[in-house]
Amino acid sequence: MLRGIGAVTSVECSKLAAQMKTRIVLAACVAGPFVFAVAMRVQSNVPADTLFGRSITESGLAVPLVVLGFAALWVFPVVASVVGGDLFSSEDRYGTWATLLTRSRTRAEVFAGKVVTALGFSLVATVVLALSSIAAGLLVIGHQPLVNLSGVLLAPGPALVRIATAWASVLPSAIGLTALAVLASVATRSSAAGIGLPVVGALTMQLYAMVDGPEVIRRSLITSGFGAWHGLLAEPSYYGPIGHAALAGMLYLVVCLAIAHHVLRHRDIGG
Amino acid sequence: MTITNTAAIQIVTLERPALEAVGISKRYGSREVLCGVDLIVRAGQLHGLLGPNGAGKTTLMRVLLGLVGRDAGDVHLLGQRVDATDRRVPDGVAGFVDTPAFYPYLSGRRNLELLARLDGHRRAEGAARVSDVLDQVGLSAHADAAAGGYSAGMRQRLGLAAALMRSPRLLFLDEPTSSLDPAGARDVRALARRLADAGTAVVLSSHDMSEVEELCSTLTFIHHGHVIFSGTLEGVRMLAPPQVHAMHTSDDRAALGLASYRPGITAVRASGGGLEVSAHLDALDEYVIALGCAGIAVRALESRTRSLESLFLDITGDADGAEATTASRLSLAEADAPAVIS
Repeated sequence: MLRGIGAVTSVECSKLAAQMKTRIVLAACVAGPFVFAVAMRVQSNVPADTLFGRSITESGLAVPLVVLGFAALWVFPVVASVVGGDLFSSEDRYGTWATLLTRSRTRAEVFAGKVVTALGFSLVATVVLALSSIAAGLLVIGHQPLVNLSGVLLAPGPALVRIATAWASVLPSAIGLTALAVLASVATRSSAAGIGLPVVGALTMQLYAMVDGPEVIRRSLITSGFGAWHGLLAEPSYYGPIGHAALAGMLYLVVCLAIAHHVLRHRDIGG
Repeated sequence: MTITNTAAIQIVTLERPALEAVGISKRYGSREVLCGVDLIVRAGQLHGLLGPNGAGKTTLMRVLLGLVGRDAGDVHLLGQRVDATDRRVPDGVAGFVDTPAFYPYLSGRRNLELLARLDGHRRAEGAARVSDVLDQVGLSAHADAAAGGYSAGMRQRLGLAAALMRSPRLLFLDEPTSSLDPAGARDVRALARRLADAGTAVVLSSHDMSEVEELCSTLTFIHHGHVIFSGTLEGVRMLAPPQVHAMHTSDDRAALGLASYRPGITAVRASGGGLEVSAHLDALDEYVIALGCAGIAVRALESRTRSLESLFLDITGDADGAEATTASRLSLAEADAPAVIS
């Protein structure tokens, strides 16, 4: 089973490497923060209405946090769905399911290999974006101490640890969102729906979070994890939202993948 | 002792048919597409799968390749039972249904290399195998072009190459020559024949009745999801109505009179002169001898060989319902060209 999943994952990674969209997304994750940091440095205005936006010219350590705040709205949903939302439905688009499923691999292995690829891409893109943001801040603006959300000055070392933890805290939500994209891709067999639905869904969830509603629903929204890191940059730090976000991410992962696997396993190809 | 047991297992495995499908049923909603279909194909056999559009041939091939789930029935491929839910295609089984499709942004060669990886081939081993099968299907010259630019015929060749990479002992081919030029079709037929001669069981689904007639020794007719005949080519001819012969004699009127007294012979005057005689061969032989005994010389006897399609339409009794394609009608015309046997 593991050998089969490995073979499928290897093939899917080779297919991704050959596609322009994958390269563009990864290139944007690398270059985007540098372009942003340079723009902040040369212009006089700062994004004062965003968290840490006011500090962005005073400390390079604010750059990865501003990027993290922006990424929650647009980048994570797009990164999660651009591969996860297309990996299954592209086989429908190209008509290649029969080619793929008449080799020596079970549907379970094909499903698992594709899911590993989709989750892996989301994780890699998120990590690349985090590293690039940190590097852009430090190299373009500098490693001055950072003022946190409670007004306490953090030395560069401890600040970096909190920044890295903040980025790590969004990973469960990114994974959950990728699983949602996989489900959309398998269920609709349409890449447009597979990519579009998670993005629209994430935006809707973030809009819902702004209105009054039951707390249990608010906490179960996959996007709640994208803002859970705020507690890490307060004094004293609090971790409750991160725990809730991790649980929500895992719940989405398990439920979405279970449904998607059931749908694919019982699907008639071309029948 | 261990050696003896292994040998016994191998003997049992070899004796089983390469393909053994029993009682296959498939329903889409209220429409029954396959109704208790049985199909048995042995190693080295080239088995034709025939039927009009919508008969269930392609669905049957999809079921056998695990692409479509079955509602009932058992499938054994190369002696291995194919689970109704997991549906993994066993090693040594290959084929394609409809026109094969590939990733258009990859070259033909790269597509095959990735498929080889899925089959568990190591990189170097897979690359060598890919070059070999590309040569076999005559696609080496275009192997490094993006598959998205391939014609339907080239995709069909690439599909055949993808199947050959699995060193098939059981091969399913769905209309493998439908998009090929005559030379390409001839090459694919020769390849299918070579594979069968080497012991591969080949299941060939085709609308081209002359192709099946030329290649296959056994065949199965499917009609409205039911098997209406399964057996040898000779067997299906036995079921068909008597063949029609054009006959010219020294005295057609006397020959016509003699025919009216003989069982198994139906003779009428042909519009272009001579007689049209419908009879099985044994009755025809006796009739010709009787003509000689009666002093009537047989000057010409032409057999209008009935194509498989004509036989099929006769057997199904559904000449109007059978949607013969233009191509198959053309092949019918070729097959109906008279062959002089006397």
